[in-house]
Amino acid sequence: MQRKNDPGERVAAMLRIRRFEEQCILLSKDGQFPGHYHVYIGQEATAVAACAELGTDDFVFSNWRNHGHLLARGAAPDRMMAEILGKAGGYARGKSGTLHMAVRELGVPATSALVGGSLPLATGAALACKRQGRGVVVAFFGDAALEEGACYEAMILASLWKLPILFVCENNSIPPAQRQRGQYTSSTLPAAQLVDVPQALQIRTEAVDGADADALAECFDRLVAEVRSEGTPRFVEVRCTRWPGNFPLWPELPCGQWQLDWAFGQSPDRADLATWLEQSDPLLLYLRKIVAAGGLTREQVQALDERARAEMAGAVRFALDSPFPAPEEAYQHVRAEQGATL
Amino acid sequence: MTDLALDKLYGFYEQLWRIRLFEGHVQRLAAKGEVPGFPHLSTGQEAVAVGVCAHLAANDYVFSSHRAHGHVLAKGSDPYATFAEIIGRQDGLCRGRGGSMHLVDAANGVMGATGVVAGNLSLAAGAAWAAQALGDGRIAVVFFGDGATGAGVFHETLNLASLWQLPLLFVCENNGYAEFTSREEHSKVAKVSAFAAPYHLPAETIDGNDVLVVNAAAAAAVRSIRSGAGPRLLECMTYRMAGHYVGDAQRYRSKEELAAMKEKDPIDRLRAHLTQRGEPAAELEAIEKRVASEVQAAVERARQAARPDPATVLDYVYSQPLSTTAEA
Amino acid sequence: MKISFAQGVAMAISESLAADSRLLLIGNGFVGLNMEARALLEPALREFADRILVAPVSELALAGAGIGAAMAGQRAAVDLSTGSFIFQAFAQVVNEAANVHYMSGGQTTAPVTFCSLAGMRSAGAAQHSHRIQAMLGQVPGLQVLVPGGADDAYHMLKWALLQSQNPTVFISHALLLGETGELTPGAPMLPVGKARIRREGRDLSIIASSITVPRALEAAQSLERDHGFSVEVVDLRSIAPLDRDTVLKSVAKTGRAVIADECHRSFGVAAEIAATLAEEGLAYLKAPVCRVAVPDVPVPFSPPLEAELTVTADKIVAGALKVLNAGSTMRRPV
Ligand SMILES: Cc1ncc(C[n+]2csc(CCOP(=O)(O)OP(=O)(O)O)c2C)c(N)n1
Ligand SMILES: Cc1ncc(C[n+]2csc(CCOP(=O)(O)OP(=O)(O)O)c2C)c(N)n1
Ligand SMILES: [Mg+2]
Ligand SMILES: [Mg+2]
Repeated sequence: MQRKNDPGERVAAMLRIRRFEEQCILLSKDGQFPGHYHVYIGQEATAVAACAELGTDDFVFSNWRNHGHLLARGAAPDRMMAEILGKAGGYARGKSGTLHMAVRELGVPATSALVGGSLPLATGAALACKRQGRGVVVAFFGDAALEEGACYEAMILASLWKLPILFVCENNSIPPAQRQRGQYTSSTLPAAQLVDVPQALQIRTEAVDGADADALAECFDRLVAEVRSEGTPRFVEVRCTRWPGNFPLWPELPCGQWQLDWAFGQSPDRADLATWLEQSDPLLLYLRKIVAAGGLTREQVQALDERARAEMAGAVRFALDSPFPAPEEAYQHVRAEQGATL
Repeated sequence: MTDLALDKLYGFYEQLWRIRLFEGHVQRLAAKGEVPGFPHLSTGQEAVAVGVCAHLAANDYVFSSHRAHGHVLAKGSDPYATFAEIIGRQDGLCRGRGGSMHLVDAANGVMGATGVVAGNLSLAAGAAWAAQALGDGRIAVVFFGDGATGAGVFHETLNLASLWQLPLLFVCENNGYAEFTSREEHSKVAKVSAFAAPYHLPAETIDGNDVLVVNAAAAAAVRSIRSGAGPRLLECMTYRMAGHYVGDAQRYRSKEELAAMKEKDPIDRLRAHLTQRGEPAAELEAIEKRVASEVQAAVERARQAARPDPATVLDYVYSQPLSTTAEA
Repeated sequence: MKISFAQGVAMAISESLAADSRLLLIGNGFVGLNMEARALLEPALREFADRILVAPVSELALAGAGIGAAMAGQRAAVDLSTGSFIFQAFAQVVNEAANVHYMSGGQTTAPVTFCSLAGMRSAGAAQHSHRIQAMLGQVPGLQVLVPGGADDAYHMLKWALLQSQNPTVFISHALLLGETGELTPGAPMLPVGKARIRREGRDLSIIASSITVPRALEAAQSLERDHGFSVEVVDLRSIAPLDRDTVLKSVAKTGRAVIADECHRSFGVAAEIAATLAEEGLAYLKAPVCRVAVPDVPVPFSPPLEAELTVTADKIVAGALKVLNAGSTMRRPV
């Protein structure tokens, strides 16, 4: 877990996520793992800002787009990558894959790949926190969750029972110009902005620009502290603009891996990517800002990036080298050990 | 509101009484063990059913809840067949298969009551969508309680109705309770109408114990919906004068609360209004008498009606035979 | 001491609340409309009010909150009331609770108990009469308890609330709530996963669970009294885990089996027992087995129609006589 407000740590945390996801895409293209998967490129600043506020008693809930949340929470990239490849070295020895990845020891007890599915669970964990008098819950979910009854019921309970939970809605489908103003239209929800929904349930809400790492840090710093001290729920809508590599059904790397030079004068060949980088990439925008302000030098950033790349290359090697679980492991963990009598 | 024609007011008076007396018979016979199950009475909430259904044609769709008797009668279903269903007879609306909580009178647009709280909401959206697709001018109305707003499907349906601009009227009968739990305890949200706001679904909270208020609000809402302006929600503040079900000891309500309830009685309020207008008491008593004997006759006839033949128990499982039906 | 099934439930909840401060109750129904049991439960509900949560009509999230709290170090009991309402909560019960231990590779446990009052309860009609055990039996990872007597209701619920490490669906039956049984305070409980021989016999085994247990016992009595047969009654107690061994042992002794089950006939608990006998017990059988179950018809409201479908002692007797008189038609395997 990173230290708060340290630009180097923040950049390193974002870079690690981005480089991890790129390796994930490359491994998939290489046929190294079956099935669908989702990457967090373009949303890194959110997980990084939120998890910077959390301690060991706190819980994190996520969904199918969980790699960034887990990394920011401190999960080991090699074990994560092994899990994604269905290997015995993974956190669940290959039983969860990418979609349901969980790390109990880091307060991520379960991950649902059902839209809205984690929210009732997160609400229950917040109930446990309240009972135990320690810890808060941060629940990450996508904008589509607001179309699910489960989400609505979970928020009703959190509001009624006064639970220490921060609902983090990562709305990743907003055109850049509308990130600040709201009033975007959607084909699936007629609300002028998503925060109107939880507000109607008597939950205090806020919206924040997902491309602005500083704004995110300020916002999560305040909201997590409020949830902690007041013990009541908050809802934050993080407004992001989708990374072009996430438009195809399967993620792709437009113009190859992300380049540090793109933050400093160079530009990729593809116009859509160039525009996205300039307007909506939280990593690039933060790097520019922090280097201009003298918080970090380009060389320092370069070194952090090299370290992240090397770490993720190691994770890939670990995952590829890890054996598959033995077939008889399919029968393990159907039920937890227990006594049969009182 | 006061310029309603006299025959309309008398009509309301008659309908309110019909439901009140009908429910009285259900209660009386349930106490004698003649009504299987635990029927839920709409006593005290009659004005909502009457005021809303006044604006519906026979072919408009009505979806009701577990507290359904009033809606079905106000929609114009036959009291005899309705009562026969409630006591499980072959002549009942559903041939005795459904009972109090599952009344269906499809020919009269009553698409169904449901025993599952909030189970009717999305079905109503579907019917409204069909009407919209066919362009046949019908609308759908769904009655539900304040308790149903805790269910996720309520929120999902508000969203769909607004998104697709469906000809659907949501009617929430907010009687302040879900079973034995008061609304203050089971929800943080004071007004049900507030749930509709995020979806830009026009909603208002009205006095549901005044049939004239309900009538006027429903008239405006139905007119708007028929004009193609999309769904609306009416939250009708009302009061359940009976227990949650017949047999409920109501330990959760104070004496004061039960006493104050008298003042909310929708029948008394309409009677007061008519008296104030100078309508003769004799006229009102004549209506009461007529309805009483009509309901009484329907109930007695239903009590004499045959029970379904057990040999027919396999009927109606499928609307067309399965190609490889195994014996049951 | 003599207690009713509902009192057993109330005692289990009260004692468990006192025994383990981690236990939370979501909702406070549990004993249906049984007023004696409610009176028994009420002192505990008052004493532990801070561990009892008001439940709006939000079954999906109530179930999920129970699971989430259990994953985070509490223990939880969720009152899902009428059995049919578990369908509102299926996404969480079936797709979250049941999977979490397995999918996390054993990292996470969810000791949560969902309490359902299932079954044909008289005039519940199709929407309030589901027997949910067979459907849930299709969900690996869930434990499904179907006690048929007051003693087991008490012990098994208490076990689920205090001891179990897995998500459990505890199924009561409205018509069982008033059934009484003998409970010896302090006596050890029969382990979960063990069927109980409620009555020993030589000529026929009736395999029963939940509401069919008292009905099978009644049938066994009349078979002995009126027809001179010695009948054994096996109470399954739980269908996940399912004690196939005890069933097979009983049938090995008697050679004949009737399975009394309130689920629908197709794909029900009876079907699973019959399949087990076909796979592992064919050599013991002197006659084809007989399932006495509910025809594949939604449960109707009107009493004569519901009665037509109900698994009664009389129908169990009729099924038993068919099996007892059918000995010669069965060819023994060689
Ligand atoms: C209950 C359910 N319905 C549908 C799906 C299929 N599905 C997977 S992701 C997704 C869209 C989710 O969008 P959003 O919540 O905005 O998250 P994002 O992927 O944009 O991060 C859908 C519909 C699912 N996983 N679960
Ligand atoms: C899905 C579901 N959950 C629980 C119940 C049990 N139940 C029956 S009526 C009721 C309360 C409903 O309250 P409300 O919607 O306000 O209607 P009212 O009874 O006040 O008319 C409940 C919880 C049910 N029938 N269906
Ligand atoms: Mg999205
Ligand atoms: Mg109500």
